[in-house]
Amino acid sequence: MSVLDELVAGALEDQRTRESIVSLEDVRKAALAAPAPIDAKRWLKRADGIPVIAEIKRASPSKGHLSDIPDPAALAREYEAGGASAISVLTEGRRFLGSLDDLDKVRAAVHIPVLRKDFIVTDYQIFEARAHGADLVLLIVAALDDEKLKHLLDLAHELNMTALVETHTREEIERAIAAGAKVIGINARNLKDLKVDVNKYNELAANLPDDVIRVAESGVFGAVEVEDYGRAGADAVLVGEGVATAADHELAVERLVKAGARVKASETTPLSEHQGPYWGQFGGRYVPEALITALDELERVYDEAKADPEFHKEFMTLQQRYVGRPSPLTEAPRFAELVKAKTGLDARIFLKREDLNHTGAHKINNALGQALLVKRMGKTRVIAETGAGQHGVATATVCAMLGLKCRIYMGQIDARRQALNVARMRMLGAEVVEVTLGDRILKDAINEALRDWVTNVKDTHYLLGTVAGPHPFPAMVRDFQKIIGEEAKEQLRDWYGIDHPDAICACVGGGSNAIGVMNAFLDDERVNLYGYEAGGNGPESGKHAIRFAPGTGQLGMFQGAKSYLLETDEGQTLDTYSISAGLDYASVGPEHAWLKDIGRVNYSWATDEEAMNAFRDLSQTEGIIPAIESSHAVAGAYKAAADLKAKGYDKAVMIINISGRGDKDMATAGKWFGYLTDEQAAALDVTGAHGNNVA
Amino acid sequence: MTNTANTTTTPSGQPLGISHKPSRTEAMFDAFKAENKPAFIGYLPYGFPNPDVSLDALRTMVEHGVDAVEIGLPYSDPVMDGPVIQAASQIALNNGESIHGVFKAVETVANAGGVPLIMSYWNLIYHYGVECFARDFENAGGAGLITPDLIPDEAGEWIEASDRHGLDRIFLVSPDSADERLEVVSRNARGFVYAAARMGVTGERASIDASPETLVARTRKAGAKNVCVGIGVSTPEQGAKVGAYADGVIVGSALVHTLLNDDDRTAKEPAAGLKDLAAKAESLAEGIHNAR
Repeated sequence: MSVLDELVAGALEDQRTRESIVSLEDVRKAALAAPAPIDAKRWLKRADGIPVIAEIKRASPSKGHLSDIPDPAALAREYEAGGASAISVLTEGRRFLGSLDDLDKVRAAVHIPVLRKDFIVTDYQIFEARAHGADLVLLIVAALDDEKLKHLLDLAHELNMTALVETHTREEIERAIAAGAKVIGINARNLKDLKVDVNKYNELAANLPDDVIRVAESGVFGAVEVEDYGRAGADAVLVGEGVATAADHELAVERLVKAGARVKASETTPLSEHQGPYWGQFGGRYVPEALITALDELERVYDEAKADPEFHKEFMTLQQRYVGRPSPLTEAPRFAELVKAKTGLDARIFLKREDLNHTGAHKINNALGQALLVKRMGKTRVIAETGAGQHGVATATVCAMLGLKCRIYMGQIDARRQALNVARMRMLGAEVVEVTLGDRILKDAINEALRDWVTNVKDTHYLLGTVAGPHPFPAMVRDFQKIIGEEAKEQLRDWYGIDHPDAICACVGGGSNAIGVMNAFLDDERVNLYGYEAGGNGPESGKHAIRFAPGTGQLGMFQGAKSYLLETDEGQTLDTYSISAGLDYASVGPEHAWLKDIGRVNYSWATDEEAMNAFRDLSQTEGIIPAIESSHAVAGAYKAAADLKAKGYDKAVMIINISGRGDKDMATAGKWFGYLTDEQAAALDVTGAHGNNVA
Repeated sequence: MTNTANTTTTPSGQPLGISHKPSRTEAMFDAFKAENKPAFIGYLPYGFPNPDVSLDALRTMVEHGVDAVEIGLPYSDPVMDGPVIQAASQIALNNGESIHGVFKAVETVANAGGVPLIMSYWNLIYHYGVECFARDFENAGGAGLITPDLIPDEAGEWIEASDRHGLDRIFLVSPDSADERLEVVSRNARGFVYAAARMGVTGERASIDASPETLVARTRKAGAKNVCVGIGVSTPEQGAKVGAYADGVIVGSALVHTLLNDDDRTAKEPAAGLKDLAAKAESLAEGIHNAR
């Protein structure tokens, strides 16, 4: 006799004992006379959360005694206060130590649906459940034949109750659906290690009709399982031990409810309007508590500003009159010929000219937006990090214009390879602090800026330069940069009469210019999106900043967000390398991590050599000198064209985002291509103005 | 997607439930409260100046008056730490520190009679595997984990793992934390709440202002059972001042400093360092334990 057979037999015997006291007819009458049940289906599926069915559970055959629960009504009220959508009451008395008395007490205590969980095989038990006020009953497919299952399901439905139909295999799920089940309990534990097995869940839950509610029934203990099941597509979860044995029942349920809400919020569409804090499993706020008040304030002020037409007006006026927007969309026919010669794709190629903005890069869009927020917050001091110097220059520029005190942190190595930008920032009145700790590059500048912020958060704003860091930075910086794509879309239509591009190419360090140019196209499936990371000497060399290729980045938390991260097998951050200081970063914005996981953006890389060749190609075919960062996108255009060709395109319209201009890189390029005499190169060495990365 | 927490199972093959093992840290505070004394919590990075000497140093601390030891895990990007602890962490990393060795440090502290805590930036624990870490930490005799860059809102996996393994969760609060934040932290903490004496990173300071006392009172009001004060406490006098109102006094940089040369970048010769560490610990213990 299996455990289930034994439990069913016991339940049946106990039912017969009760029937000898109260007849079937009497219990039926009581069921019909009971107050109408709540339609539990409405409680078990929602767009903004994963409903939690919390269970009153004293013991189980597998784990024995769990909790005394002297007052099930009080426990049920705690579950309800924590946000439970339904209460499950075990009424089996032999092994689970439950009773109908528990059910009565819980029913009287809460206003949410109540499930009678028992080994139900007779009409009597269903009438009895209804008579005691249950809104839901559990039916276990493994304990019933098809006919019986259908009969009991129909009876429950006649009584306006909902049946949670428990299944363990795909075959049982088929039987449940055939019988007319509307709410199916799915058990997807791996029997070897008892973990929630998401693959098994997917296998079981595949092709279920849309109107069936999927309840994850086993192995749900805490936030981890809710998140796993939620991401796999479960509508609701049932949890017993994890809440019944918790020290604080209300808090335990609340945590599960929050985890479910987080999953739902992290997957909202349209993609272009996703506001964080989580993109899929990425993002969040992995920062010291000391910064939370400031981040909350920033989020609040930004939300207010977003809704304020005056803020938009001021921002757009400055964009036009100070920055020089809109930046043009320039066709590049001679470069397109090169691409055609190399790939066979007949492409019309357009360059989005962020290099023509004031200060020479897209960074000013975000610096300006955040600086206006600083004014709104009433703060007086701005700090920022910079790698290549572009964001530092943009920040120093807007601070000069708005009269804000400004300090820029820059790694010592970067400050040497971009010495002219150091002078530029100082000329603009900013204090430049060279960071001599750690690896002395961008990440160390960010660490130092974070330390400053933790210390001076009251009057200081950290003007982060990319779509990374803690919420709300990734969403906010994206919003300030999305103008790039919006303009490009409009210009393509108005200037060139083209409805939409077939492809967009951008370079990805932290990812702000890429998100900026892609956002307007994220929800347009006709547009292929390509992001190019800094390949350095190639993925196998170990000298690169590729986070997305197999064998490179791993999941981790870095400088405030969960994303992909280059790290050692100990979890220490790896040194990165790229000829471009602006792409030389160990992690990447969380939205990109998500776009990679859902397959919306194709991420690849361009090596130093590919980027430098593209730098020269574009300069000599179009008379436009891109930043080395942007040159990675130009190099990527060749790869994207080959990919489009492979996908069957013969003709294509492509946009490349030229995120910045290359003047700052002329020393590096001069040396790379041997355009300088030895004496000239030596002169640059003395001033420290050349790129020290040139091999 | 499969980093589910319940990898550890009971002897019958069932996933572990919530451990209702009493908190070791709370038991320590109860004992001190009975004597109307604050506890002395000392910090030292594991692996500094090298793995072996760091074990001697941890033992030395317990033998010279440190009640609970906050064993730091060196990290490449420690955003909450000032120059002294950054330097010590870097030395440890250069000398082959590995997270796998930290459990030996936990055992060392436990065997010496101290309460072993670990302080770690979250990525190290996440990368090791949250459930694996909780299991190994519990097995080594660990009491609780201090997480300087993990707030309760992001701690779902850790809350689950620490519940299953009966470990304390020590979150931080800071002087400008709103009341609502103090409540979130206090509700989710176990063991104690770590109150930062001032805004900023770790490091010694000449004076301690009045704000920690207010913060401790606010945090207690928000529901915290035990509140300890750290960041910037470096002398016996400061320890005595803070110990008058806090349940525990946390000292880090001042202890770490005793093992560094005057350049603050290189490690002292071990014997001399340990001697200075012992003396410093003793004088701090004297000040803190006699605070009231």
